[in-house]
Amino acid sequence: MDRRAVFFVIAAVLSAALVPLIPHEKGKPDISWVGYTMVVAFVVLAVLSALDAWSRSRFH
Amino acid sequence: MTPIVLVVIVVAIALVFDFVNGFHDAANSIATIVATRVLKPWQAVIWAAFFNFVSFLLLPLEVANAIAKIVSSDIISIGLVFAGLMGAIFWNVLTAWLGLPSSSSHALIGGMIGAGLAKDGGHVVTLKTLQKTAVFIIYSPLIGLLLAFSAFVLVSWLVHKIKAKRTVNKTFRGLQLLSAAAFSIGHGANDAQKTMGIIAALLIGAGRLDKGVLDNPESLPMWIVLSCHAAIALGTMFGGWRIVRTMGTKLTRLEPMGGVCAESAAAVTLFFASHNGIPVSTTHTITGAIVGVGSANRLSAVRWKVARRVVWAWVLTIPGSAAVAVLTYWLVEVFN
Repeated sequence: MDRRAVFFVIAAVLSAALVPLIPHEKGKPDISWVGYTMVVAFVVLAVLSALDAWSRSRFH
Repeated sequence: MTPIVLVVIVVAIALVFDFVNGFHDAANSIATIVATRVLKPWQAVIWAAFFNFVSFLLLPLEVANAIAKIVSSDIISIGLVFAGLMGAIFWNVLTAWLGLPSSSSHALIGGMIGAGLAKDGGHVVTLKTLQKTAVFIIYSPLIGLLLAFSAFVLVSWLVHKIKAKRTVNKTFRGLQLLSAAAFSIGHGANDAQKTMGIIAALLIGAGRLDKGVLDNPESLPMWIVLSCHAAIALGTMFGGWRIVRTMGTKLTRLEPMGGVCAESAAAVTLFFASHNGIPVSTTHTITGAIVGVGSANRLSAVRWKVARRVVWAWVLTIPGSAAVAVLTYWLVEVFN
């Protein structure tokens, strides 16, 4: 598997693991959406990186 | 020595810490513009220092509030703040001497936690602030990486049809002045506020400032705000050149376009953190962003050996500075 895709998968897993630890403080906006957004974005980047590597390998 | 003299001495030490923070961390603001030769080093430090200083006009003082609350204000004393600061200063000087990027922010948090633990045990630490900071130790470089990678891919796609590479470079060299300014604003706001928080906690502990300031951080006395921003700006002007070299060229080699993407991504991350009262490390953030740009080129463009040393410094910062603060606090108690 493409190394960059693996890197993004690890980042997605790390981001997901930390979501439950984001505290919600009284009177302050909930920022857990940051964690969820990062998980989704890293998964998307992992898929795109894997597809990119796959398409390159077809031409070489 | 009277308490007021001690307060003045510890405030002076806090400002020295802020200066060292500027010296040690603020160099990150200029690493990419120096690496891409947009500005000469002396021009870059003046540019960054100016935007470090004016940042208080643009972002709220939420980070100062978070830092002031990291150890319960009921037990804060002059000795505790002194010990916390000494832990952080020692750690910063050590990592600067070794040429290692560290985090002044986490050194300060580690120092305060260590001093708090030494004084009254673990219950005095505000867990929510600590938890938020701990999560963003990991998140801030990842957000920087994600934004920088995405921005770099998007911009590369937009400019790939332009054949004249020189035109692209020229445009991005100009834009890099703006991105470096934005990053310096984010850096000044997040880092200078950490010292403001410490000074506020000290003054509350010494009975010289009302606790109510913690509920309304914008009411912090203006002399604290201005002196902290001036100290960090001066620190930037004296720069930490060894660290500039590590961040700007050793992690990955940057072109102006990559520099703009990395700095803009890091600036957005710092603006977000400052708005939400999250004390993050500017070093962590810009490192993540530079790695993001490097990995958008190809993963092997990132010099992982240097990145690993950076990660080790991150892991060791809080425990290292906390340990020094514990020892300092015990020494303070012996002489008290």
